[in-house]
Amino acid sequence: MSPSTSEVQPLDYTRYDFKDPETYKVRTARGLSRAIVEEISRLKNEPEWMREYRLRAFEHFLERPMPDWGPSLDEIDFDAYTYYANPLAEGETKRKWEDLPADIKNTFEKLGIPKAEREFFGGVGAQYDSGTVYHKIREDLEKKGVVFTDTDTAVQKYPDIVRKYFGKIVPYNDNKFSALNSAVWSGGSFVYVPPGVDAGIPLQAYFRINAKNVGQFERTLIVADKGAKVHYIEGCLPVGEEVLTGDALAPIESLTEGQEVVNSDGVATTVERTMVRPYDGDLIDITPVSVGNAFQLTPEHPVLSVPRSDVQVSRRAPPRTTGVDRKKLANARPRFVPAGELRSGDFLHYPIHRTARDDPSLGTPELTVLGYYLAEGVTRIINGGEAVTFTVPLDEPEHVDDLAGAIRAITGTPPWVSPQPAEHAVEIGVSSKDLFTLCRWHGGTSAGKKQLSKVVMDLPPEKQAVLLEKYYRGDGNTYERSGTAHRVSTTSRQLAFQVQELQARQGVYASIDVREPFEETMKDGRRISHARAYTVSHPRGTRFRAVHRVPDGFLVPIRRVRRTPYKGNVHNFHVAGSNNTYLVKGFSVHNCTAPVYSTNSLHAAVVEVVAEPYAKIRYTTVQNWSKNVYNLVTKRAHGYEDSLVEWVDGNMGSRVTMKYPSVYLKGRGARADILSVAFASEGQIIDSGAKAVHSAPDTSSKIVSKSIAIRGGQTSYRGLLHIAKGATGVKAAVRCDALLPDDLSRSDTYPYNEIHEEDATVTHEAVVGKIGEEQIFYLMSRGLNESDAIHLILMGFLAEFAKELPVDYALELNRLIQLEMTGAVG
Amino acid sequence: MPEAPRHTLVIEGLHAEVAGKEILKGVDLTLSSGEITALMGPNGSGKSTLAYALMGHPKYKVTRGRATLDGKDLLALPVDQRSRAGLFLGFQYPQEVSGLSLSKFLWTAYMQRHTAENADAETFGKDLDTHLDYLGMDPSLLKRSLNEGFSGGEKKRVEVLQMATLAPTFAILDEPDSGLDIDAVRSVGETVAKLHRPDAGILVITHYQRILKYLRPDRVHVMVDGVVALSGGRELAEELEAKGYDWVRAGSTPAA
Repeated sequence: MSPSTSEVQPLDYTRYDFKDPETYKVRTARGLSRAIVEEISRLKNEPEWMREYRLRAFEHFLERPMPDWGPSLDEIDFDAYTYYANPLAEGETKRKWEDLPADIKNTFEKLGIPKAEREFFGGVGAQYDSGTVYHKIREDLEKKGVVFTDTDTAVQKYPDIVRKYFGKIVPYNDNKFSALNSAVWSGGSFVYVPPGVDAGIPLQAYFRINAKNVGQFERTLIVADKGAKVHYIEGCLPVGEEVLTGDALAPIESLTEGQEVVNSDGVATTVERTMVRPYDGDLIDITPVSVGNAFQLTPEHPVLSVPRSDVQVSRRAPPRTTGVDRKKLANARPRFVPAGELRSGDFLHYPIHRTARDDPSLGTPELTVLGYYLAEGVTRIINGGEAVTFTVPLDEPEHVDDLAGAIRAITGTPPWVSPQPAEHAVEIGVSSKDLFTLCRWHGGTSAGKKQLSKVVMDLPPEKQAVLLEKYYRGDGNTYERSGTAHRVSTTSRQLAFQVQELQARQGVYASIDVREPFEETMKDGRRISHARAYTVSHPRGTRFRAVHRVPDGFLVPIRRVRRTPYKGNVHNFHVAGSNNTYLVKGFSVHNCTAPVYSTNSLHAAVVEVVAEPYAKIRYTTVQNWSKNVYNLVTKRAHGYEDSLVEWVDGNMGSRVTMKYPSVYLKGRGARADILSVAFASEGQIIDSGAKAVHSAPDTSSKIVSKSIAIRGGQTSYRGLLHIAKGATGVKAAVRCDALLPDDLSRSDTYPYNEIHEEDATVTHEAVVGKIGEEQIFYLMSRGLNESDAIHLILMGFLAEFAKELPVDYALELNRLIQLEMTGAVG
Repeated sequence: MPEAPRHTLVIEGLHAEVAGKEILKGVDLTLSSGEITALMGPNGSGKSTLAYALMGHPKYKVTRGRATLDGKDLLALPVDQRSRAGLFLGFQYPQEVSGLSLSKFLWTAYMQRHTAENADAETFGKDLDTHLDYLGMDPSLLKRSLNEGFSGGEKKRVEVLQMATLAPTFAILDEPDSGLDIDAVRSVGETVAKLHRPDAGILVITHYQRILKYLRPDRVHVMVDGVVALSGGRELAEELEAKGYDWVRAGSTPAA
């Protein structure tokens, strides 16, 4: 029997790094020309001033040379890109999620956007290539006068505000890419918060590039009027790589490296690496029809399953009430679905363990003895010698003969048989070291610890059938005679799952039910406590009705799906204790994958931020672009009197990133806080930094830059601190830390200080660190493996940044780094 | 009371070098569970080298000899697996890890050696409170970055705290008393003695008799020039305090 994978669709590795079919309602020809710029403006039905602005910018773009002071941009071929591609018709931005085309809705649902909207954010915008496909803001914010829309709409609806600020913070001639953006921009967010309004909850936007060689050139403008407050988050997250590394906390934490597990094809494989992480969020509780097989895992963990909607009789009827089309089910191909998307009624794939290794030393007599041992056998020391005793129901003499014969065949001596009328049973016993060892080795030690050896679990199914038959026979709870179900009960959780697996190999899906521990008082006043017991049962002669047999396993319907919030390691850990084996055997753990396109994409955004007096703006970005994207972004803020602008900027992914969030402090007492993080791996260059330009007195700025370069990645800090003549009493602090875990990677620091007032207080620290051998040794001496040790050190390095992020982002960051570290050491 | 399980750590003919220079020249030492053993000796005699070599520091190369824990070859294992096999090293100069809180570190390390079935957060937390109490440590330290900005005394206590959390079969404490004032030596010494389990052994490396007053070692070994030159009971430590190491040097027979 050779393992066949044909029934199982491979995991969609590109779950986030995925691409959708390229269907666009509007798309310009490839390449860039004056005509294209005019066409974009025409498509958008823009006012004349914007059209002229675009054209001026385009002229400047043509004249302006490529920047020669940073990473090489030679690979960028401006004629290879499509500058405008919109899945919707222009102006068709949706306000209702349901109205979106299905594929786009899918895309963003995969990215968790509607969920984010419901749970965390005041407003959400989504941009798909050039088109803003979705913008929505909570009503209460809208009533306060907060505007959150795409910039194209803003040009039409709020021309006064847009004209006042557009291009004033980042002029088109600031640099070549701001010129490009100004010529071809499309989409982006426009946020306006009226005087004195605190937008409270964050507004959030997502961007993704889908089509090959489509550039994304969004234009974002954020204005917080006097005394207003807003937090805007933009994400390009996540690439799916990290979430598919198998973060099912439950199984992984209970596994050890080198341990054998069964994959989704039912073939034995070994665990190569184990991981532990803190978790804060929902866990998904999945209870299949077999209650004892319930398990929990994180929402994004992929589970091999057949969604009921794939196999329903009718598409129109609601899922719970619709029957399953057996023909469809027979042809259904299980696929990986994130646990969070599973619904009751969906089918889980339960593979059959295929590995078979015969062991000639276990013949029918041995398996017979083991079967009875599982049911009611005890190993003990009698008169200083090893012995095994069995209890068999009194009224089943054929079992006594069966067992006694087997014992005799193995030991050569007949066992003693002693009736125990009070217990309504017969005790069969034999003093034999061999049998004692056989039972303990292959069947476990005591009732709660009964467990079959790996040798037995791997025997050919024909041999296992013997064992099962005897076990079912010997177990007092067998209801064979009633004709309804075969079942056995055990207090050993392990054994219950093993029996389920053995039954699967017999072609039978048995379910596991759990009886909670309880105490009972007997007639004679004795109190008896019953341990938790597991019952493995299946209907006689036929399959579990709701369960469907497929060639390599079973499809088991889900009875119930629930979400349970969990926070921190503590619960995470607790969860792990309740369900290890099944998960491991039921679902496989995935490794990471490759990016989407071999050719590159271009992201050249411009972000303009204005903080009027006393306003506070925080702009958080966490970007993890595919590794073929040139990410060249100009971000700048103007901060007036007593305002505060904070950039929290995380840059991962991309081929090349050049980005230097800036704050121009233009009013007395304005403050700037810039925290940026760069993470560059193989083949990546992240050239980032920050600029603080103090042109007013008593202004202050704080810049913290952290970068990590691994596996030959390169990071650079490029910063400017400018204190103009007349800007007295300025305080400025710059700190840049770089961490290089290996010798292949590189980090450079290019700080530029232009200080024209003598009374400025300026501090500057730059530290390039290696992760020391001593540090790793120290952590390893506490039992952490090398990559976990490095991961802890890296996350510690980034802790200052991570704590500023919304929880989801912080987790993604953690997982991304864990993923990037895989294979980077050892 | 049932007898505690017996464990032994056997070091036989251990030779080790650092940067090509041989420091250990045939160390023979056996540690048994239930016992506290003191390892003394002058500077440069190889005490710390022995500790690092056993733990598997990459700079310390074992060239000959064996070290087994209950028969299991420690030297064949990577560092983390030696730890999981039951060996612990309390560092003389513990490393700092910025941004990694002490509590997260302890929990992560604890999780490494417990399976899902036998560990639970509640016990972990209770034990941690008890241990902090023993050591007179301020629980606010748990939230701070591992060893970062900790005083010398705090670092030593954190080492002992880690030992308590991980409950190793054999703990080697490399100069847990160095740089501590008298009160701190006493608190560390008494705590280690309190934490000593009948099924575990402790090897304390020290220069001074001071901490041994609280630890009351069962055995004392003296290392000189890369070998164990002299062994005895607790009284040996006092004798050394009085006579100095030259006395051992003079009296010991050089290794063959």
